[in-house]
Amino acid sequence: MAVGYGSSVTAAPRPEFDAELKAGLAVVGGMFPPTITPALLDFMRTSYASAPIDDLLAQRRIERLDLPVPGHLGDEIVVSVLRPVGLSGPRPGVVYAHSGGMMFGDRFSGIDLVLDWVDVLGVVLVTVEYRLAPEHPDPYPREDVYAALEWVASHHTDLQIRLDRLLVAGASAGGGLAAGVALQARDRSGPRLCGQVLDYPMLDDRGLTHSTHQFDGVGVWDRVSNETGWDALLGPARGGTGVSPYAAPSRAEDLTGLPPAFIDVGAAEIFRDEAMAYADRIWRAGGDAELHVFAGAFHGCDLFAPHTAVGRRMIHVRNSWVEKILAD
Amino acid sequence: MQELLGRIARLDPSASLGLRVIACFDELVVGHVNTRGLLAAAASLAGCPAGFRRISEAACVRVGPKGDLLDGPAPEVPAALRLTTADGLEVWLERDGEPAANDGITLERLSLAVRARHGLVRRDDIRRHAAIMLDRQSSAEERVAAAEALGLTVQGEYRIAAAPLFAQWQQHPGGPEDVIPTRHGPLHVVVLPADHDTVVASPCGLGTVTPVDRLHESFRVAVVALRLCSPPDEPLVDAHAYGGLLTMLADTPEDSHQPDVERMAEVAAHPWGLPTVAALVATQSIREAARHAGVHHSTLQSRVDVVSSTLGFDPLDGLGRARLGIAFLSHRLRHSTVLELPPPSS
Repeated sequence: MAVGYGSSVTAAPRPEFDAELKAGLAVVGGMFPPTITPALLDFMRTSYASAPIDDLLAQRRIERLDLPVPGHLGDEIVVSVLRPVGLSGPRPGVVYAHSGGMMFGDRFSGIDLVLDWVDVLGVVLVTVEYRLAPEHPDPYPREDVYAALEWVASHHTDLQIRLDRLLVAGASAGGGLAAGVALQARDRSGPRLCGQVLDYPMLDDRGLTHSTHQFDGVGVWDRVSNETGWDALLGPARGGTGVSPYAAPSRAEDLTGLPPAFIDVGAAEIFRDEAMAYADRIWRAGGDAELHVFAGAFHGCDLFAPHTAVGRRMIHVRNSWVEKILAD
Repeated sequence: MQELLGRIARLDPSASLGLRVIACFDELVVGHVNTRGLLAAAASLAGCPAGFRRISEAACVRVGPKGDLLDGPAPEVPAALRLTTADGLEVWLERDGEPAANDGITLERLSLAVRARHGLVRRDDIRRHAAIMLDRQSSAEERVAAAEALGLTVQGEYRIAAAPLFAQWQQHPGGPEDVIPTRHGPLHVVVLPADHDTVVASPCGLGTVTPVDRLHESFRVAVVALRLCSPPDEPLVDAHAYGGLLTMLADTPEDSHQPDVERMAEVAAHPWGLPTVAALVATQSIREAARHAGVHHSTLQSRVDVVSSTLGFDPLDGLGRARLGIAFLSHRLRHSTVLELPPPSS
């Protein structure tokens, strides 16, 4: 019989959540519990499914085109092309990977945060319905995003996208996928990227960092949730020696030759240390990275609580970087 | 957050969204968040702009649902979306159309929070009945008055169920409920009649049955029970299963010097430590405990020998069993991760 006190866990000291964000957790916790076990997968797939967005797109004068494209192994997947109504020439392009722990969410999850790029900067955004673990483990999610990137590059004329201004972006699990796609694009001499936006990215399956162990049972996405996500993606390989650096970019030994990276992360979340280490290693390799660590921020707080001082600042800082890279 | 509230309502149509609004403002007040932050929270919860002004002044602050400051004067809003306090502050929601279900509670909590921020009201004065009833600092008269205000029968017997706001409820029990700010963060409490059916929720602690003027004790025990939860294996802890033990734990200062508990931490350092102790306290004999832990009895015996020498007493003999059980529960309490713990004071 299973007895539930198998590990001797000591609550580690941890930075407090910002007061406004803590208040937000009173609401967030009802749809995104801190600790996600495989038993909660169905709940999360319901609670994290995106809301209908057509009204929102209409208000922002953004048009949406759903297209079938070849994913991993040529299987058909769907992407949505979101672009300002009435384009009159090639625009910067973004390939976007959504959040959801590799296991839930869809191509419109958290899309609010990147729609500014479309209606303010005039970007053509391609958001990918990559297949989810555990039904589709590694490399499906990332190879689906990579295949979408290649498809975008080879159809850039039809899509009215400038090949010299193509960026990958993703949040959380999607941030990990975007980082992996950037590594693959470098190694396969794939499409040339002008930047990678990695929002609080999920980079490391090993779970060894200090921050991983600081937030058990609190906030959004704790150590157990992360183990659930990586288990879904990698199965028994998680934490072992055979994991691909494309799946877990923290494992990549060579971080040279990557496009400029924007990395943001909360000081009060488990991904803090791996995000900081990734930026640091890019710098050591002579690369270009911009790192922002937000005090008191829990994982994805700008998605859940964009009205807060911390949330607003995260969004503003990110959008200014993207503007610097992509705007005409 | 309006959208998140909508998601919660779709997932669980019986969930009280008002409680989450209350908890949200409780945290904002505890965290000394400024007026803009308070208005941003209200606007985000309501999905429309929120505003504030002193009625003696023309200037106002208006904040949109994304926390953006809005220009322009205060628009006309219907009385149902406006709240003016006796001390001359006004807050409002700029909603087109009819008020929504939680607008009333949002305005009420917003106005209290703004008054607290402006130094017009003490935090203690904005407490609700449940908080007064469950506070051991309140007088017996105050507690009984609060209980009556909540519709409880003074002669009745009740118990408290305590859960974090992120708890999963299979169904919501009837009975007065509220959120109480605690050092573990806001806790959802429900007052249940003594003969209420079992609650199915994870995590959740059930306190002892008490008369209404002692429900503060049931609450403290419920919090201990809650902190002993270990989902998914043990999603709910009912104080009844422990007799008076949890009351005793609730009365013991957490930082008190307890050699048995400190030695229990050494036992817990072994990967097999806590599962072994859990098996011992749940059974009568080494053989039974070995079956419970899923190991051979000789393995269990050698582990018991280590436990015995680490603790410095025989955990299976006489009072040793009681000491083992209490040290086990105390250890789990000290290392509970089911709720947010306060940062350790340095």
